[in-house]
Amino acid sequence: MSELFPRKQVMGFVFSLVLTAAALTVYFMDLSFAVGMTVLLVTAFVQAAVQLVVFMHAGETDDKVAIYMNIYYGVAIALVTIFGTLLILVWDM
Amino acid sequence: MKIDNTLPLEYSTEQNRMNVLGFWIFLGAEVMLFATLFATYFTLAHRTGNGPSGAEIFEIAPVLIETFLLLTSSFTIGLGVHAMRLGRKNAMIAFFAVTLLLGLAFLGVEIYEFTHYVHIGAGLQTSAFTAILLTTLGTHGAHVTLGLFWGLFIILQVKKRGLTPETANKSFIFSLYWHFLDVVWIFIFSFVYLKGMM
Amino acid sequence: MDYFDRFAIPHPSPAIYASMVAIGLTVVAIIFGLTYFKKWGYLWREWLTTVDHKRIGIMYLISALIMLFRGGVDAIMMRAQTAVPDNKLLDAQHYNEVFTTHGVVMIIFMAMPFIYALMNVVVPLQIGARDVAFPRLNALSFWLFFMGAMLFNISFVIGGSPDAGWTSYFPLAGNDFSQSVGTNYYMLSIQIAGIGTLISGINFTTTIFKMRAPGMTLMKMPMFTWTALITNAIVLFAFPVLTIALLLGTMDRLFGTNFFTMTNGGMDMLWANLFWVWGHPEVYILILPAFGIYSEVISTFSRRNLYGYKSMVGSIVIISFFSFLVWTHHFFTMGQGPLTNSIFSITTMAIAIPTGIKIFNWLLTMRKGSIKFTVPMLYSVGFIPIFTIGGVTGVMLGMASADYQYHNTMFLVAHFHYTIIPGVVFAMIAGLTYWWPKMFGFMLNERIGKWAFWFIAIGFNVTFFPMFFTGLDGQARRMYTYSEATGFGPLNMLSFAGAIVLMIGFALIVYNVYYSTRYASRNISADPWNARTLEWATHSPVPSYNFAITPQVNSIEALWDHKKKGQPLFSGPIEKIHMPNNSGVPFIMSCIFFVWGFSFVFSMWIPAIITTIGIFVCMAHRSFEKDDGYYISVKEIEDTEKECEVQSR
Repeated sequence: MSELFPRKQVMGFVFSLVLTAAALTVYFMDLSFAVGMTVLLVTAFVQAAVQLVVFMHAGETDDKVAIYMNIYYGVAIALVTIFGTLLILVWDM
Repeated sequence: MKIDNTLPLEYSTEQNRMNVLGFWIFLGAEVMLFATLFATYFTLAHRTGNGPSGAEIFEIAPVLIETFLLLTSSFTIGLGVHAMRLGRKNAMIAFFAVTLLLGLAFLGVEIYEFTHYVHIGAGLQTSAFTAILLTTLGTHGAHVTLGLFWGLFIILQVKKRGLTPETANKSFIFSLYWHFLDVVWIFIFSFVYLKGMM
Repeated sequence: MDYFDRFAIPHPSPAIYASMVAIGLTVVAIIFGLTYFKKWGYLWREWLTTVDHKRIGIMYLISALIMLFRGGVDAIMMRAQTAVPDNKLLDAQHYNEVFTTHGVVMIIFMAMPFIYALMNVVVPLQIGARDVAFPRLNALSFWLFFMGAMLFNISFVIGGSPDAGWTSYFPLAGNDFSQSVGTNYYMLSIQIAGIGTLISGINFTTTIFKMRAPGMTLMKMPMFTWTALITNAIVLFAFPVLTIALLLGTMDRLFGTNFFTMTNGGMDMLWANLFWVWGHPEVYILILPAFGIYSEVISTFSRRNLYGYKSMVGSIVIISFFSFLVWTHHFFTMGQGPLTNSIFSITTMAIAIPTGIKIFNWLLTMRKGSIKFTVPMLYSVGFIPIFTIGGVTGVMLGMASADYQYHNTMFLVAHFHYTIIPGVVFAMIAGLTYWWPKMFGFMLNERIGKWAFWFIAIGFNVTFFPMFFTGLDGQARRMYTYSEATGFGPLNMLSFAGAIVLMIGFALIVYNVYYSTRYASRNISADPWNARTLEWATHSPVPSYNFAITPQVNSIEALWDHKKKGQPLFSGPIEKIHMPNNSGVPFIMSCIFFVWGFSFVFSMWIPAIITTIGIFVCMAHRSFEKDDGYYISVKEIEDTEKECEVQSR
């Protein structure tokens, strides 16, 4: 039975619960906007990385480079789009 | 089809390896799809018109339940893939079934949440904010719904055809999809709900 | 009867009624012809269900040419209307519809399929592959595009054409100001075609990553394949933005949401922003494959290897990322602050640098080469100066403060035609002529082709150069007429004359296809241009399995080094080849998509629900289907090879 619950994945699950709990501090504690956003950004991206590496096995084949390049590229353009849009329509309007 | 027995079943043919990479590339496009929704959400988050703001309508309890359900389902499908690699067909089907049940429960809570919003006057047509909130959540929810059917089909196929290079490949790709939906949810949880309630 | 009122044209004219009759007669003629010549089975087996990349490429090509005709007619109508002041040929509404459909048709339904036509035919051959990674999805891509195009094109006879410009800016495109279903057509047809394009993006990226011939590392890929890879990577990240923008626009129009409205917090500027987040990368989606074609053509007909291969690759990679960083330059005048405009002004100028690098690389490739001015080469050489004018005026437009003068004038219209026509249209004609023998097994007539080139090159400049002047003098784009006092009359008349010359050029290309089909020799070698890349190493036309033996690649110009240095290309015995089965599902599913789109356009919810279910049934069918493909036996391959060799002797 225990072979069905590999240590790496169980730890990954526990870690993701811990990260969720950490993110919740912004709700239960009275943090400033800057600190709160920092906490959320860190927990969310670490959480995403855990999913990617531990659960999705992104790096297990020869296509590792293509897969990571694809994800990094997508995330970079996503961030450019989000922050660019905010700059144009909210911050600098 | 040449089958390479040194690799896990889901990677054992050239077509299988292409399918997996192709799906990863599709996920890259999905990143951009949700990023556009997020960009729109952040732009419109404070444009509430005569409608309520996020802080007024968000509730922590259903959100936490949804998060826990989806995180757990992501864990169980990971176990399902692990069982598949061990060749334990029945364990794998069980884990996939648990995953889908958790997904179904998630969807149930989300439907409750939607009806609640509409009930308290935060419908699709109320304001720009409510429209993009419901569209972002709805797009994720639609992905989960599609995933439920897809996962069901895969369970049926594994049950009927056993663990072959094709079915293993499909199951693995489905697991990628499901994990990805969890990642998207984490961003919704952090930057829609928690930021809104901060 | 009220139910059917929605299908009426809100703004009819004799021309539209004439088109209705013409469309009706054409459909009847096609159905009659297919029945009379008993070609239904042939059509279904060989074309509608095919998953062969070469045939899909040819279908893309035919669609693109039909759409070029449609968009061209729109263009001639616009030039005719503005040829003289206070003209009454078209009224304001009709003119709005014409410039809207001209833009959409030319960009989405002409340029895009033309690019995918050439990519489909050429990329798998250039990398020595049997087909693309997902042949079935490739067919689905084509049919979704095709049905999107058809849905868009029926708009002007059923329910009314879109009329808010190809950019369809809100609030003009919202329900308050665009009350006909025209803009619904815009939203849904582009959505359907866009899904097809996105699938192609995934397909070709995977193909190029995974299916290259042994030995062909990324840095040994031919330049066209490189540009195809980068183009598809841009498609991958740009098209989802369009998907969402169109989804939100559709919801505003059909479900009364407030994304882009002026009330309840809606923000019309958000549409412009999202549209151009997709729209600017789209410009590079169009231009990069063209750069690839020019690289192949210039190197082939200069008898020299491409100068600066690595800098070429580097510059397209940089372009692919930068193309996502410049979108604001399409709306400098929208009202955002000088900080934003400055940032995007700088990125805009920066992106001119890698493009400049490429221009110099082509010039240096030709230097000391023994240049042969064939038709493809003429277009490539013609492209360089004309495109440079487009690029330089682009830098002018890119300066935010100066842009306040140029914005939305004919200067802008002249600029983007100066980039798109030499950049995309010239490249497509060059590529078409260059790869025509590979597709059809005979060459296009060089003499007629050269005549066509001169008509097109001169006609193009006569049409668009005057617009720089009228634009600087203040003629706004999209105005259906102007008074005589403005003094725009003579130059607009000159533009119209140029458009006629341009039209004659395109007619000559059509005539060339007819003439060459009838009279050209079928006895051509597999490599009639003495070219350098792998697609010329197999027979013309290409057998269904592409290469009897998978080629071995050792250098960038595998075929050239094989010919000149005797590097082995094909070694080893012929083995049986695995091939994918044909399938009717992509065609059927796309037909359902067509009805789905049509139902949404007219808010007919019951058919909309039924077709939505139908789409998912097709997907479920695919999930459960067992499809292992089939094998071509060694004997069959050997027979085909012998037959091909006899033919080309």
